[in-house]
Amino acid sequence: MKITLEALCKLFGKVKAVDNLNLEIRDGEFVALLGPSGCGKTTTLLMLAGIYKPFSGSIRFGEKVVNHLIPKERNIGMVFQSYALYPHMSAFDNISYPLKLKKVHKREMKKRVQETADMMGIGELLDRKPAELSGGQQQRVAVARALVKEPAILLFDEPLSNLDAKLRLRMRGEIKRLQESLGVTSVYVTHDQVEAMTMASRIAVMNYGVLQTYGVPNQLYDHPDTLFVAGFIGAPPMNFLEMRFEERDNGFYLKSQALEIRIPDERGALAKQNDVPQRVTMGIRPEDISVVAERDGDFKAEVYLIEPLGREDLVTFRFDAEEIRALTPAPFDGWTGETICLKLDKEKVHLFNPETRFSVLKPGNGGSS
Amino acid sequence: MIIRPKVKPVLAYLALIVPSTLVLLGFLWLLITSFSTRTEGLRSLGWTLHNWRFLWESPFGPGYPSVWRITLNTLLMSLIMTVIVVVVSSMTGYALARMKFPGRKSFLSLTLILHAFPSVTLLIPIYFVLLWITKIPFIGRGVPLLGGFGYNTVGGVALVMVAFQLPFGIWIMKGFFDNISWDMERSALIDGASRFKVWWQIIMPNIKPGVAALSVFSFLTAWNAYLIPLTFMVGRSGKSAVLSLYLQNFISESVMTEWNAVAAVGLFQLIPVVVFFLFTQEALLNIYGGGKKGGV
Repeated sequence: MKITLEALCKLFGKVKAVDNLNLEIRDGEFVALLGPSGCGKTTTLLMLAGIYKPFSGSIRFGEKVVNHLIPKERNIGMVFQSYALYPHMSAFDNISYPLKLKKVHKREMKKRVQETADMMGIGELLDRKPAELSGGQQQRVAVARALVKEPAILLFDEPLSNLDAKLRLRMRGEIKRLQESLGVTSVYVTHDQVEAMTMASRIAVMNYGVLQTYGVPNQLYDHPDTLFVAGFIGAPPMNFLEMRFEERDNGFYLKSQALEIRIPDERGALAKQNDVPQRVTMGIRPEDISVVAERDGDFKAEVYLIEPLGREDLVTFRFDAEEIRALTPAPFDGWTGETICLKLDKEKVHLFNPETRFSVLKPGNGGSS
Repeated sequence: MIIRPKVKPVLAYLALIVPSTLVLLGFLWLLITSFSTRTEGLRSLGWTLHNWRFLWESPFGPGYPSVWRITLNTLLMSLIMTVIVVVVSSMTGYALARMKFPGRKSFLSLTLILHAFPSVTLLIPIYFVLLWITKIPFIGRGVPLLGGFGYNTVGGVALVMVAFQLPFGIWIMKGFFDNISWDMERSALIDGASRFKVWWQIIMPNIKPGVAALSVFSFLTAWNAYLIPLTFMVGRSGKSAVLSLYLQNFISESVMTEWNAVAAVGLFQLIPVVVFFLFTQEALLNIYGGGKKGGV
């Protein structure tokens, strides 16, 4: 089922929880709504579910406007962060509840509940009450309950946040595989960018109720639209440095007190086309910084902190009152306080207009916005 | 002075034992007195069953109802009050905890004010209301068993008690509903339940302790009620009297009061309460656990 959101707004008192949201979710797609807490992602999900009524704008499932349909009429399944199982019912009764309300015949109900439970690997636990199940098992019951009525749309509200790290990783894979095999259009709300990156086919990043960007994970990572997206997606986060943009000697340069780099011509030209201001914010991801021998380096910095991550080491450098983080192959060959030469991958440098907070490396992101 | 760790529990027990003993002594006195011809303190001056004869013959003469009829009245009044209070409070409490409607906040504060309102001041207006209800055919005073819902009827008095108990009940139930997660309710709505089904099939089973607590509390309040039955029932041992009035009937200004008989009737009224309390004290404690989380 295709979902279309048009100019969707939701107010709580005077607070705009969702502001003019436009989004199209293709049939069978797995879309993540990503953003920090309070960004309006859960509000959006609850509007899709029919729990909240939009203030203005429209929600369409397929071609049908569903703004005023109650949850029951929307044919959706939803999984909550708190699982929201009914504590007084057994797992079987929990899963069968949607079917019971639909007045499905008992034998058919039993069969479908068993099938769904088997698929979720909880077929043996159906006579237990939620309190007698572990967190992971409860989550499986919740997913089974959402799936059993064969919904046209699946909604997930941070379903993995209450699980421990190991289980989260496993459930992440299972939900993704399940969604792919069933092909149900799914909307997944999370504040965890890793979850969004790994699971979703497209990610909608929201902040303060406003859609920041909408695209496939790699595009968001490699070519972020805004400063917010650049900083939010990726762990450890992108480094930002205030620089001056200069064009001279047929080349484009970024300059600060401690550092001057030449950026590739086509990047510079694109930035110029987008009315790049003289003062720009440069973004560079930690993995795009490397430690090099002195003659190859762009600038020198002092090692401030070394954090081993196993496969890589995260090293914080200080130079000229700035801090910059780099991912280096482990073990890092250096010690705290040592001065070392660093090189930036110029192909991976991002440039943002600090006023508009938009990237100047995207066609059409010029001064207008 | 530093109290050593071992002394502390001893002090706590002492603080509990002393007042409990005093209270228990009162009950013991009641028990001994009810089986004695006379007593000196806790010492009986002769054992007898004479004080308990009200169980098989009316002490006020044959024209008066037996104690069993009076007990039935009390039971009916308590049950009516319990049922109405629980049903109305749980529906109102749910609406106040979960739904948005104009006037919700004022209703909530009004409930609290009504709870704090001294009911005695309303006795006279209520008297007129009950008189007015009495004039309605059938409902007024023609309902079998209850008498009706007007003045001097079990039903009427029960309704007045309900009115006084409701603000408390609503507030308590709202507290219990507030503790139920929104997600569970949303989940049920998405599963396809109507609002009523959500309330009845999902929420209510999860606040059973609250329902139990309020039931017990309401039942005991009604069972022990004195002022309202006294005001709205004619004759302390009339056809519609309840136990507390029956008991009061033994204490008169003109004849010497038979304190031993009073003790027996008092004990008789007490027995169901004690038995009831033994089985439900856990539920009763819940009312303070759940009820304190109010808030608008």
